[in-house]
Amino acid sequence: METFNNFIGGTVTLFGDPIGILIFFGGVVGGMLFGAIPGVSMLTLAAILLPFTAHLSAEHGIMLFSVIYCTGVYGGAITAILFNIPGAPENAPTAFDGYPMTLDGRAGKAVGAAVMCSAIGGTVSCIIMMFATAPIAGWAISAFGPPEIFALVFFGLAVAASVGAKTFWKGWLSIMAGLMIAVVGLDPVGGIERYNFNMPYLAAGIHFIPTILGFFAVSEIFVQAEKKATGAYKAPKLSVDFPTFKELWLHKIAVIRSIIIGFFCGILPGIGATLAAFMGYNEAVRWSKDRINFGKGKIEGVISSETANNSATGAAMIPLLALGLPGGALTAMMVGVFQMHDMEPGPLVFINSPDLVWVVFAAMFFANLSILLVGFLEAKTIVNLLRIPFQFLAPMILLLATVGSYAVRGLVIDVVVMFVAGVAGFFLRRSGYSVAGIVLGLILGKIGEQTFAQAMQMLHFEFTGFLSRPIALGLLIAGFLTIAGSVYGAFFKKEAPQNNNADADSTV
Amino acid sequence: MNLRKTIIGTAIALGAATFTAGTAMAACATADLPGEMEKPDGFPARALSMIVPYGPAGGSGQVAQAMAEAVTELTKVSINRDHKPGGSGTVGLTAYMATPADGYTVLEHIDDAASAHALDSSRPNPAEDLIPLVTSQITFSQIYIRTNEDRFTDWPSFVEWVKAQDGKATIANVSKEGSMERVTMKFITDATGMQIQQISFDKGAPRYGALAGGQVDALFEQPGDVRKFLDSGMFKPILTILKDAPEAFADVPSLTDAGLDFEPLFRFRGFYVAAGTPEDRVKWLQWAFQKAYCEESYQAYNESKFMTLIESFRDTEGSKELINNTVAQYRGVYKDMGLEVK
Repeated sequence: METFNNFIGGTVTLFGDPIGILIFFGGVVGGMLFGAIPGVSMLTLAAILLPFTAHLSAEHGIMLFSVIYCTGVYGGAITAILFNIPGAPENAPTAFDGYPMTLDGRAGKAVGAAVMCSAIGGTVSCIIMMFATAPIAGWAISAFGPPEIFALVFFGLAVAASVGAKTFWKGWLSIMAGLMIAVVGLDPVGGIERYNFNMPYLAAGIHFIPTILGFFAVSEIFVQAEKKATGAYKAPKLSVDFPTFKELWLHKIAVIRSIIIGFFCGILPGIGATLAAFMGYNEAVRWSKDRINFGKGKIEGVISSETANNSATGAAMIPLLALGLPGGALTAMMVGVFQMHDMEPGPLVFINSPDLVWVVFAAMFFANLSILLVGFLEAKTIVNLLRIPFQFLAPMILLLATVGSYAVRGLVIDVVVMFVAGVAGFFLRRSGYSVAGIVLGLILGKIGEQTFAQAMQMLHFEFTGFLSRPIALGLLIAGFLTIAGSVYGAFFKKEAPQNNNADADSTV
Repeated sequence: MNLRKTIIGTAIALGAATFTAGTAMAACATADLPGEMEKPDGFPARALSMIVPYGPAGGSGQVAQAMAEAVTELTKVSINRDHKPGGSGTVGLTAYMATPADGYTVLEHIDDAASAHALDSSRPNPAEDLIPLVTSQITFSQIYIRTNEDRFTDWPSFVEWVKAQDGKATIANVSKEGSMERVTMKFITDATGMQIQQISFDKGAPRYGALAGGQVDALFEQPGDVRKFLDSGMFKPILTILKDAPEAFADVPSLTDAGLDFEPLFRFRGFYVAAGTPEDRVKWLQWAFQKAYCEESYQAYNESKFMTLIESFRDTEGSKELINNTVAQYRGVYKDMGLEVK
């Protein structure tokens, strides 16, 4: 009852002030727009707005950032679905099935699923956040140390090897290629430079945003251009036919599973929405009876990814507010907003500024709900971009991707990386390899290597140390069983190996 | 033995940093600097750029923002911050060295630039290849434990407990070998004879979460970065890595109190312009950045980060001296550690 009263109090404060309402809706629309443009993400908007928050009240400044966070994570789904350009890394798995749905004339269904599931995932995690921030935060950082996070990554990679590739070996080779790219740059233990060929820029490693834009957007343009040249190109059919409630209800288990996965990933400091989206997608593949059709336009892929990444948003606020530990870049900027107002997020904020906390909770709750309203209106409009002929659309996408790659760090090498990844992705996809696997290997590889090194240091370089940590052990066993299952499926089952009938121009 | 000889020579200069907050405020008088300065030939005629080799949310990102705002407040000249993180500052520094030396682009950097040059002299020397405009933050480090820890409660009991664990005790620290944090931990373990496993965390949040969640036994950090955990009572310092404890941490043992005989290393952050920049422009930038240090907003920021506990201000010459002494000190330490110094 106290929670409910606090929530009502936060809502009244939020909407009882015209400036607050203006900032709220500005954040909703701004987050969606910036989230939808690759490279120029919600982080760009947040960085631009950060100095201006000094002129806002603490409630308004922090509320604005939390609203941008919710809607920005959703915004990138639209371009991922319509043009195979994930607006942010956490939207990459959405493109795996969302874009094939667009090619298949089901863009409306994919966008609708993304809108609905982003709202559901975000709202549910927000409600959990309201009820149990303090105990969950304490439990998460105690139960999930580096060994557990490494085991989670290992499990994710084991499942991911089955996504999008033609054969078992090509799936694993794709993952391995991603892991190899991930080790370029400074090693996470001693800061030793690796594979940078004396190029200082490579000391920072290969950034995953240009890599994603290259493998997804640029290679897709090459694929479509080839089709255009050979006369095989078919313009995607325009569709604003949103999914029915009944269709979504059929995937309720996927939604619940992704909420749980997204929430757990979100509460781990430094992990966040990207791992959540990939893990949500991977688990959908793992538990599906129709695995071979993932990557070819299954709505369940969009549902799993978008539910999980938005579920991570509310969860990421838990360690931030309860402990002062930001889970990712945007929540780290929120620390800056707190500090501009002479405040620090952490246990004291609940004691010193309960009103502020509940304004933020209410704002996030209503921001997730407004994804439904504004998201549908935005989607109805933006789907019409598919009417633009390919010869005009392709240069626009290339331009956007180039700007997006450069904008990450203002480095030309990131644009070069994007084009190299684009060319490589074009040929790899023709050969039946999985560019999704490579991207996943890259993203999870960086987290996995770091946490493995930390785990080994903590366990005094004894692998048996994992046996004494039940959660890590359980996840490792699950990972090994998954690998064993896929080996069995690939070599001993009579049916064709996974995705053996995948098209040569599969989108992932 | 060699280590001690090497560092004694530089100890006096670095030891000067351990002044009190009162001295820092006195430096802010900067009486020799005029209240206003005419722009040389209209410079700057447009906004300045500031390359920050770290992300916007960390210590460098925050000090860059605070200084940029203070300079703008003072001069009405805008500064656009351009974050180029990666490679422990290497990427941003390399990008900066490729910009024209016209004064329109300035650089924020930390002591990592000096230690990188100490290890490999082909890396830019911040005292020669760059012109320091101002050093605006100098801070010290501490060892922290959880406040509700019951296995040990202070430095002596911590050392005793660590020794009893036979190398299995853990402390969260940064990852880069040769960094200020790692070198200081080597000093501590050598001086106490304790063995402790350092767990490498690149980012602050997971590092602090590791201590809060009980994944590690202790944490190595600077007080400004963990202030919220100190204010909330989650963490407490058990050792201040300074010869004499500052007043704010009077009840925490210093190196002298703990009987640890080594010269402390410092984290420092400052602002630079490329060598070769026209002299009149350098002078104007020196005036703007040094004067901005004394702006109320910047001083408030430094105070919130525990950056006024010791003398944080260095002008150009003071910064060069600090950098040169730091390079010399690190070179000696690296040689002593058996690292290849190029």
